[in-house]
Amino acid sequence: MSTVVEAQGVSKRYGDVAALDQVSFTLHENRIHGLLGRNGAGKTTLMQIMTGQNFASSGELTVFGERPYENEPVLSRVCFIKESLTYPQHFKVRHALEAARLLFPRWDEEFAQTLLADFRLPLNRKIRKLSRGMHSMLGIVIGLAARAPLTLFDEPYLGLDAVARHLFYDHLLTDYAEHPRTIVLSTHLIDEVGDLLENVLLLDQGRILLDTTAEELRGQVVTAAGPAAAVNEFAAGSEELHRETLGRYARATLRGRFGPAERDRAQQLGLDLEPVSLQDIVIRLTTARADGGSRPRPDRATDPGKEPIR
Amino acid sequence: MSERVSHASGPSRVGRAVLVQLVGWPSTLGAAWGTLVLVFLLNLALFGAIHDNEPSPQTGALASIYIITFVGAISSINQVFPFTLSLSLIRRTFYTAFALLQVGQALLFGVLLTLCKLVEDVTGGWGLNLTFFGLGFLDQDNPLLQILVYTVPFVVLGFWGSFIALVYQRWHLPGVYVLAIVKILAVGLPIVLITWQRWWDEIGRWIVDQPSLSLVAGWPLVIGVAMAGAGYLTIRRATP
Repeated sequence: MSTVVEAQGVSKRYGDVAALDQVSFTLHENRIHGLLGRNGAGKTTLMQIMTGQNFASSGELTVFGERPYENEPVLSRVCFIKESLTYPQHFKVRHALEAARLLFPRWDEEFAQTLLADFRLPLNRKIRKLSRGMHSMLGIVIGLAARAPLTLFDEPYLGLDAVARHLFYDHLLTDYAEHPRTIVLSTHLIDEVGDLLENVLLLDQGRILLDTTAEELRGQVVTAAGPAAAVNEFAAGSEELHRETLGRYARATLRGRFGPAERDRAQQLGLDLEPVSLQDIVIRLTTARADGGSRPRPDRATDPGKEPIR
Repeated sequence: MSERVSHASGPSRVGRAVLVQLVGWPSTLGAAWGTLVLVFLLNLALFGAIHDNEPSPQTGALASIYIITFVGAISSINQVFPFTLSLSLIRRTFYTAFALLQVGQALLFGVLLTLCKLVEDVTGGWGLNLTFFGLGFLDQDNPLLQILVYTVPFVVLGFWGSFIALVYQRWHLPGVYVLAIVKILAVGLPIVLITWQRWWDEIGRWIVDQPSLSLVAGWPLVIGVAMAGAGYLTIRRATP
């Protein structure tokens, strides 16, 4: 599997604030990557650097093996649809498509027309008169029909209703199957895209918290529920991300290796092991760090009232 | 893939960048000329209604198309540049296309205005003794020079407007304030110096000695090229 994006110690500073802090990772070809993290985690900055729209303060980032800044051969293979995408004031919907057709070498007009019909976008309407949701749909149409080998979506569906969001997921998956490409999807609706993602890159306060496949991640994090003493015993060897206690009963979210041996042990201890959704994993991991580091703290009895407000 | 082939054999990347900037041209270029035609017709109606046009009227309304060009360059940088950068067009290609378009458009406008002036001369000021397209003391006998006289201000205004907009795109409002201060100093300090040293007479003589072509086309063009260069250096690291 070849590498599409490679980052080595990429940092971006705005004055005293580090938007990105020594970020290193690799994105492999023809996979769907989820770029997750809380507001202000540095996701947008990272995508801007990947697409040559911004510059790293230090570190090295390559796309298709070369630096993306002012690199025509590289950038003509990249499409970045950001939440704040703005169009010239006089543009109608059809003008935006005309521009995209001119600039993306792999643009598929037929596919664009299909998407327009599905999203019911009026071709002759001024873009600034579109509703927030329709504005987002236009970005999605461009992002999908561009068929760029590296396609990035940054919160692409602000204001989109559930039907339109699922249309997006369906089209994305179908078209991805027929025309494999590398997709980076940054979103807060983690539960909705959980099944789409093959890789997860989790950013928090400008650092990489997690860089793994979705499948591996699901095997790494479990919730163990049962008598508190048994939970304590089971949790001893792994990193505890979260715990709820109710009398002598406890539920702990744990990160570690949970193979057949561990599952047998849980059964012997009378514990229930449950899988944890991707969204909960992200919440637990980012909260654990916000609480003061992600070091294992098996002795800590978490008071749910102390959870930081999200 | 057929669409890749069509891209490879179609216009170059710069050509595409020019075409992108022309998308929806009726509302940009069209509006500029639409406004000029409207102003012209209003003038015809006005002076037609007055009948007695003595001395022959001269309107300053031609300035409208120059102002629209200036504003158009600003909005092109503020709106089309961030949009095309979002669609993966690199800054260098955008700016090359922008500059080609500015010069091409200026030349086209210069030719059109020269043609309008010819018609104006032939028809005796549209039958009304009206000078709408003529420039009085800047009128040239040689049509090529006349085109140049009309064209150069478009080039200068286009690159001036785009430079201001690029400063905004790169350094935002603080940058525009600094630019304004620099401009005031660049004009003000020489005036103070010249007045203090009593150089006005010599400068007056130098200006009178210049061929008129240098004054209306040569020196302004130097300023236009300098603005274009400054714009290029500014756009290189702009992050709108």
